[in-house]
Amino acid sequence: MNEHRRQILQMLSEGKISADEAERLISALEERPSAGSSQNVSESATKARPKYLRVQVDSEEAGHEGPTKVNVRVPMQLLRAGVKLAGLIPAQALHRANQAIHAQGIPFDLSQIKPENLEDLIDQLSDLSVDVDQKDREANVKVRVFCE
Amino acid sequence: MIPLVAVVSLRGRESRTLRVWVPLILLWLLLVPLAVLLSPVIFIVCLVCRVNPFRAFSVGWQILRALNDTEVEIEHRSAGVSICVF
Repeated sequence: MNEHRRQILQMLSEGKISADEAERLISALEERPSAGSSQNVSESATKARPKYLRVQVDSEEAGHEGPTKVNVRVPMQLLRAGVKLAGLIPAQALHRANQAIHAQGIPFDLSQIKPENLEDLIDQLSDLSVDVDQKDREANVKVRVFCE
Repeated sequence: MIPLVAVVSLRGRESRTLRVWVPLILLWLLLVPLAVLLSPVIFIVCLVCRVNPFRAFSVGWQILRALNDTEVEIEHRSAGVSICVF
């Protein structure tokens, strides 16, 4: 902003603009940051951290009387605490679990689950929404996972 | 704050809903003496398993606290069960 002000003052000294015009430009510059900050506040309010993880499953099987619905709301705090619980698993047990996971062909390392990683994940979860829609002759299954 | 109440709703096929308020606070009060009695055993088990008992207690407490606002709803055909923890 100082650079803009300097440019205006330079234009004034060079006689390119009048004193009134310079004053108007400077006042316009001063008004701009307040508008920007209010925009930032509204953005941060809309992008609030999610509090819950919602899992909704809606399944309708052919030949059955009615649908099966599952609706689970899990607080994010519980996820965080769960990850801390995973941190309590003894190294030997963790090693065995990792071996079993690798044997299934899943390239996943349980020892990499750390609370600080989860914080990063949760920060990104606000924009995440998973929708799975499976339709065939026997069943119609819809799964939704999102944060709220 | 740990959860104090759980609401369990059961809905039968006749669309009758049975709602039960479970005062968890009473459950915690009953469990405290038991936890105190079992604490030496838990402590030894933690040491044998090479788990820091204080950290285990801290994580357990955090899980208990985080249970607040948990909600599970399952509906099958016309019957359903719902559990809300407050």
